[in-house]
Amino acid sequence: MRHTNSLIGRLFYGAAITGGSLLAVGIQAAVPGITAASGVFNLNAEAGYISQPDGASVYSWGYGCSAGSAAPAFAPSAIAGGSCGTMQLPGPTLIVTQGQTVSVTLTNNLPAAAGNTSLLFPGFTVTAAPGPCSSSASAGVLTTEAPHGCAVTYTFVADVPGTHAYYSGTRGNLQVELGLFGALIVMPTLDAGGLPTGYSAPTNAAATCVAVGSKPARAADDVDFRHAAAAYNNPAACYDREYLFQLSEMDPAIHRQAEEQAGVDCNSPSGCMNVETEPYKAAYFLVNGRSMPDDMDPNYAAQYPHQPYNGNPHMHPGELTLVRVIGQGRMQHPLHEHANHLRLLARDGNLLLSETSGSNNLAGPLLFTTTTTPGQTLDGIFQWTGKGLNWDVHGHTSNNPSGGLEGNGGAPCDADANGYYTAKPDAPNYYEWCADHKHALEDKPFGSVGSGGPVTLPDPNIVANGAWYSGSPYLGPDANLRSVGATPIPPFGTIANDPGSEAGFAYMWHSHNEREITTNNIFPGGMMMMMLVDPWVFSIDEAK
Amino acid sequence: MFSTQFFRRGLPAILLALVALPAAAQSFRVQCPTHTKLHPLINGKPNPGIKCQQISGGDGFATMADGTQIYLFAFGPLSGLANMAQGLPGTVTAAEFNKSNLDATHANFDGSDGNLDSDGVLDAVKVGAPDPSGYKFNGAIGLVPNPEPARDSTGSPICPLGHSSGGGCLDGHVDPRLIMDVGVLNGNIPAPLIAIDEGDELFLTLTNVGQIMRPDLFEQHTVHFHGYPNASAFYDGVPDASVAINIGGSFTYYYLAPDAGTYMWHCHISPPEHLQMGMVGQIYVRPKQNSIVVGNDLRSALQTANQSSSTGGTGATCSDLLCTGQTPLPANNATANATGKKYAYNDGDGSTEYDVEYPIQMHGFDPNFHFVGMTFNPESFADNKDKYFLLNGRSYPDTINPDALTTQQSDGVTRTTQPMRSLIKIPAGGKALLRFSDLNVTEYHTLASLGMPMHVIGYNARLLRDLDGNNMYYDTNSITLAGGESVDVILDASKPEYAGCTTSAPCTYYLYTPQLDHLSNDAENFGGMMTEIIVGPSI
Repeated sequence: MRHTNSLIGRLFYGAAITGGSLLAVGIQAAVPGITAASGVFNLNAEAGYISQPDGASVYSWGYGCSAGSAAPAFAPSAIAGGSCGTMQLPGPTLIVTQGQTVSVTLTNNLPAAAGNTSLLFPGFTVTAAPGPCSSSASAGVLTTEAPHGCAVTYTFVADVPGTHAYYSGTRGNLQVELGLFGALIVMPTLDAGGLPTGYSAPTNAAATCVAVGSKPARAADDVDFRHAAAAYNNPAACYDREYLFQLSEMDPAIHRQAEEQAGVDCNSPSGCMNVETEPYKAAYFLVNGRSMPDDMDPNYAAQYPHQPYNGNPHMHPGELTLVRVIGQGRMQHPLHEHANHLRLLARDGNLLLSETSGSNNLAGPLLFTTTTTPGQTLDGIFQWTGKGLNWDVHGHTSNNPSGGLEGNGGAPCDADANGYYTAKPDAPNYYEWCADHKHALEDKPFGSVGSGGPVTLPDPNIVANGAWYSGSPYLGPDANLRSVGATPIPPFGTIANDPGSEAGFAYMWHSHNEREITTNNIFPGGMMMMMLVDPWVFSIDEAK
Repeated sequence: MFSTQFFRRGLPAILLALVALPAAAQSFRVQCPTHTKLHPLINGKPNPGIKCQQISGGDGFATMADGTQIYLFAFGPLSGLANMAQGLPGTVTAAEFNKSNLDATHANFDGSDGNLDSDGVLDAVKVGAPDPSGYKFNGAIGLVPNPEPARDSTGSPICPLGHSSGGGCLDGHVDPRLIMDVGVLNGNIPAPLIAIDEGDELFLTLTNVGQIMRPDLFEQHTVHFHGYPNASAFYDGVPDASVAINIGGSFTYYYLAPDAGTYMWHCHISPPEHLQMGMVGQIYVRPKQNSIVVGNDLRSALQTANQSSSTGGTGATCSDLLCTGQTPLPANNATANATGKKYAYNDGDGSTEYDVEYPIQMHGFDPNFHFVGMTFNPESFADNKDKYFLLNGRSYPDTINPDALTTQQSDGVTRTTQPMRSLIKIPAGGKALLRFSDLNVTEYHTLASLGMPMHVIGYNARLLRDLDGNNMYYDTNSITLAGGESVDVILDASKPEYAGCTTSAPCTYYLYTPQLDHLSNDAENFGGMMTEIIVGPSI
């Protein structure tokens, strides 16, 4: 087995357990992928190696962009440095628009011993046409298959918006396990203004729908990374940020057997591999093809040439965040979203609406754990505001000696119709829950945050600080610096969530089959990522 | 800029804080104020809207249905012990929590009143507490008068929790010996039950007593409030994102009770290990609707409550997409609050009413992993295979045992280890609310009802209702939950088909898992995740 990436993997793993010094390279996420105005994509199925944080370099099969074709266009355009090699895991995320005719030509560059391969687009009516060397094309069981070295073109109209999976329709227990899966994002048809039909901005409250390109830049260099204003043509499906998580797992024994037999001479459509895929024992649990902590490195990071996509969600208070999840692979995974419930919008691209006749209102449940079964997708809206904590997360206080400045003690909080401070879009405490404004957390006075609150914070010597702990209970560098005192001592060595610039609230989003937050028996790892709610003064740069 | 700010603001703050340090310098401490700004004193008495609980983080052994004593990393009760022994939530009011562990006459140290040992400590605060029967003490274990209280400028002691009956000054100071006497090896499965009402402030003190069976470990522990909406990172219990509590330390978690529903709590240190080993429990929140005056209109009360949760709106529709802190008004017409009824949610239409409630924690244990956890071997996670399938820490037939289960620990002392019952008893013509929460770490659980349909009203601590106010309840014979999910189910014995189930002739039904390999207790092939529902008995 090759171990080209093992050193990097070990370095990154070491970083995770020693305080995450390399984890804060940048914050990048969004839903990167490839687009084509023509709707024509040229994909390739090929073998390669992916890297895992335990140092393993795992033989895999993946979809990539065909070498001979024109370079694809990358979206969102705000993310520079896009790449699409001839093999990646998961496959390239295809971003199309509703009603577009999509044509995907798949070339089978897998080892001859793998036999035929194919592509399924569940939820769409697909026609398949054999490409070059069509004489040997195989009808297959589920769809037309491409023999070794040959191609098949799959054509369908992308009539269902939302998040969809695509994956191999040939010998799935081996081919999907080895990595032949990817995502298809269909952006909905919206009104001429780029907004959903029927949307009207609320009075005395923040707009919930904003067209792409006209998002107000609250932080100076905040850029719009969205593909569209809404996931569906419904005002409740609007969002400010979007993230895609493809959950899968690997049994390394299957990958090893496939690697050992890859060189076998073969001229059979069903391949010549004799790989035991049962009993199944998964040891790697992946978010977008990577395990924690690798999943929090940038998109298109050079150290993962075959795993371009990350899982590293960030958001500001009050922002509507679209969460797209796909269950790839063969196991169910309960993804637990710390910090709040998520409102389920849709499953498999089907918007869940109220049974009331003519209603356009949502009926999807509120979930704190979104369980995903193989092949299923879900779209949900997530938002964090800090409402109802009974203490001011910004540490505002009426007697702050440095008061009068926004972000310090003198910041206003004039409630809008929903109780949030949204009157001034560039305020550092935008979307604060005003009912808790200036409510102190701490009983005894220290620093320049309020006192007279309910709790006494602990002696810092009896607790251990986490790598994402900003050093105080408060949100944002301003409150963090004002809460300097003996209880607690801010861990100014923290790098994953810099107390002086970011000071966000960090939450873990992870599989709640907790054994899946391991990497081949090593904790921490696996299907886990940190979600950060960042203060508005900290710009979330998904493109850096 | 950074260092300038530190010296301008930070240094004086540190100096100021040092002055106040003695009051907070102790490692073990409890916090349970008698009043806060939100909950002021009532006629000089502690406000019952303040709820407190103390738990130990440590280890212990539990008894499985095949007789195996299995090793746990576990939370145990360090307050509310009398309630816990009855299978009830260990959460108590400030008035009940802040009880000195010393008797009024402790200064005599002679035991002359028959209520004391020679050291002046209440008989209740002893190794092995709570004893299985007649145990009455619900106060915080360890709480004693502070011999060196903080003093005000006149030299008078500052006693925020008042004076003990013996005249000592209570301020959260604890005697660590008492904590260790009770807390070591007192682990429970499931972890102590927490129950609060909407509007309550909860002060949950985690006291890390260490794991005496694993002296090689220096495990920290935390509490994650699983499913809490709009959580704060600081009190979320994720060690990476906040602080973790070292052995010998106490930390008090603070939350205003969230919206009603069935939540979970668990340790978040190395979750594949600490959760599998047993640090999992349930927390549920009762709705404001329970306190509506009998005869009043539920729907208009709900609308009023919705209005007060924001500054605008009519209360009829949600103020945001997530409907945070609100419940959509029911589409159906109003119903009056009925006598003696309780509700699972703020439904506004009485549709979640029930007579009795049963919190049921679903979990699984892999005995091989627990053996490794007791010894000093490297752990495997990919090989996890549960062999015990638990409802409130019990497998059949322990599930129908009406008493608390006890286990003799490695120090020879028998302790209450599985106090929560899992036998479902529904009075004739009544309704039972089953609060299921699943914290299995390896697989999904399915639980089926044999003969009595389950009426599902809530999922993930939220009423099943769309944003037009339509109830989306459904009847089913089975529920399937992942680790980290909860579901609320009503068993309705008021239907005509159960009319024949009476006190003299109760009917028996079953809850069992159709995952048939889970109907086993390790090598015993009959047992596992199964219990009885008895309709008719007086409760």
